[in-house]
Amino acid sequence: MKFNKTFDRALWVFHLNTGSCNGCDIEIVAALTPRYDVERFGLKLVGSPRHADVLLMTGPVTRAMAPRVERIYRQTPEPKVVMVIGNCGCSTGVYYESYNILGPIDKFLKNIDPDVKIIYVPGCPPRPEAIIDATAKAWLVLEGLRGDA
Amino acid sequence: MAGKSYTLPIGPVHPALKEPTMFKLTVEGEIVTAVDVQPGINHRGIEFIGMRRNPLQVLHLAERICGICSIVHQYSFALASEKAAGITEIPERAQYIRTIMAELERVHSHLLWAGVAAHELGFDTLLHWTWQLREWVQDVLEIISGNRVNYAMYIQGGVRRDISPEVIQKLKVMIADYRAGIDQLCKAFTDDRVFRHRTMGVGVLTYKDAVETCAVGPTTRGSGVHKDVRIDQPFGGYADLDLDYCLPEKMGYENNGDTYAKTLVRLQEVVQSLDIIEFCLDNMPPGPIRWESNMTKLLQHMKKAEGEALGLNEAPRGEMIHYVKLNAGDENVSIWKVRASTYNNILAWTKMLPGCQIADVSIIAAAVDPCIGCMDRVTVVDQDTGKEKLFSNEDFYRASIRKTRAYQRKVSP
Amino acid sequence: MEPIDGDGILNLFKTRMGGAILSSHVDTYVNGVRKKKLQTVWVRVPRESLREAVSLVLEMQAPAHIAVASGSDLGNDIEVLYHFQVFWGFKRESTVSVTIGTTCPKSDPHLPTISDLVPGALITEREKQEFLGIIIDGIPDPRRLFLVDNIPEGKHPWRKDEKGVQDMVRNVHEGGD
Repeated sequence: MKFNKTFDRALWVFHLNTGSCNGCDIEIVAALTPRYDVERFGLKLVGSPRHADVLLMTGPVTRAMAPRVERIYRQTPEPKVVMVIGNCGCSTGVYYESYNILGPIDKFLKNIDPDVKIIYVPGCPPRPEAIIDATAKAWLVLEGLRGDA
Repeated sequence: MAGKSYTLPIGPVHPALKEPTMFKLTVEGEIVTAVDVQPGINHRGIEFIGMRRNPLQVLHLAERICGICSIVHQYSFALASEKAAGITEIPERAQYIRTIMAELERVHSHLLWAGVAAHELGFDTLLHWTWQLREWVQDVLEIISGNRVNYAMYIQGGVRRDISPEVIQKLKVMIADYRAGIDQLCKAFTDDRVFRHRTMGVGVLTYKDAVETCAVGPTTRGSGVHKDVRIDQPFGGYADLDLDYCLPEKMGYENNGDTYAKTLVRLQEVVQSLDIIEFCLDNMPPGPIRWESNMTKLLQHMKKAEGEALGLNEAPRGEMIHYVKLNAGDENVSIWKVRASTYNNILAWTKMLPGCQIADVSIIAAAVDPCIGCMDRVTVVDQDTGKEKLFSNEDFYRASIRKTRAYQRKVSP
Repeated sequence: MEPIDGDGILNLFKTRMGGAILSSHVDTYVNGVRKKKLQTVWVRVPRESLREAVSLVLEMQAPAHIAVASGSDLGNDIEVLYHFQVFWGFKRESTVSVTIGTTCPKSDPHLPTISDLVPGALITEREKQEFLGIIIDGIPDPRRLFLVDNIPEGKHPWRKDEKGVQDMVRNVHEGGD
């Protein structure tokens, strides 16, 4: 899907915890508060995936969350970018070999949508600066999707 | 009672618990009449994973049970496993460093909570302000350990890193800064008429309910219950301190167990933590910081050890307990049971929520100090028609803000 | 009852329950520069005497504070340990951890409930039912707790036999799905 250039700057993000320990989640909030203040780049946390351009996902996918992750991914309108925050979302990290974890987020999302755009932010947890850097990368990805319209 | 009754599921994501919770509220009109809690959405099977790893590896896993209580989980596991392995001679300096780290975490966690509570009431200025204050302690934690959330400080028989004289200076500056700023923060909460209206008499946990449901931490101290592991069963550096329970009556309020009382407990505990850190810095004994500095030898010792022990700790949210059993010849941790504080506060919710309004649910649930920020959706099921209506966290939050605004209009001249 | 120390608690158990105690000991640890004592009492009883032992804890302090119940698979038996804290709130250093352990055979995995004596034990009893595959007789709320959406009925994560979850483990690092 193509979209015009006014669309890819002020990103609205929806935060979804797919089974994380909360460490990345507080760093996301820390990034929003005055010290780091990502809102100055137009980033805004929204309460519904239907309003979001970017899905922030933290944590490995637990069995109970799996259907919910799929539902929320499908609810997010195109074009969209997924930002996976933290090691365990990227590779399941310390939680490998558990009976209740289905795997890292990317594997899971690629089964739902082969064209999914994912930005990985490793770290346990990543610093707020890393999250800001990832936001800049999300702009580049969305710019790549820009059309003539 | 007359009128239709609705079921309101809240959830599922709820990360401050080891396993996040889903609430099912039964509501009649605006009033919650019953509540059922169904955790397990975030269940990662950590105890099972831990039983396949050796005690030194589990230290890192324990830290990642919760990103806010990362220190106390590691502390509890280190306490339990070193006792089970028969390591009882912990160097005194290490005990003091352990205490300092645990109290630094309490400062950051209570400030985090205060910000979240303010946010739930639609008081976002206060959220941003408390989180800005919180960055000072984050800076110090980062200087000591190199990470902002997971600090990897504890090991069986001691700590991994020493606190150098330069860092002690930084800590002292931080304490002085907080002492200067904390009064103003307390005033922002206690003098604000809207905050008082929204929290006084809301989410009351009576003394009787608090002791019967075995609630822990600030949740129970708000009701005047004398429970605090640091005082009842002092461990590590706490044994040398003369602490007192932080109760709302010390700030001139009744111990009535409402949300305001719980706020006062947490605000006092921030100051108490600063006192504890200062005491530990001033009286820090010299000496080694580890029982055994060679990791391989330590691991060999743990492998041969046989025994079971409890690791008790006072997390920012209340009593935390780890049970560890080691069998000789088994390299892994044989049995590991983790019990985080909010686990014991689940039953307290079922006592606090009935009778409240829907707009108050978010602040009452937050009063226990789970992170409520991640509740992602709520479905309202109309039992008569079976029709479902989606009710998002945002709607909840808006209901809460509307109530705040209504109070603001009422109290402002 | 006035607070007594760990050895006193163990003596009380021995005089009141006598032969019903299978094994018991007190662990003592010292803390801080002042070397203060911290005690843990361990008592193991057969399941017929579990409620009697819990009643004795209630006699020491009511309402009792249960921290949690932990459990393990011992092969032929399942062990459940109830961790209590007694004498909380009296004065500094008065609290003692008292652990009451009991077992039930896998062929007859039943234990009596204690949630009528200690209401706060309900959550942990529900958890024991699903994680260990035991049945708590008389539990007021027998529903599952943590594993509703996660693993099928009849699977219990802490069991080390065929009812365990070893076959559900996904080794993500090995590249499999």
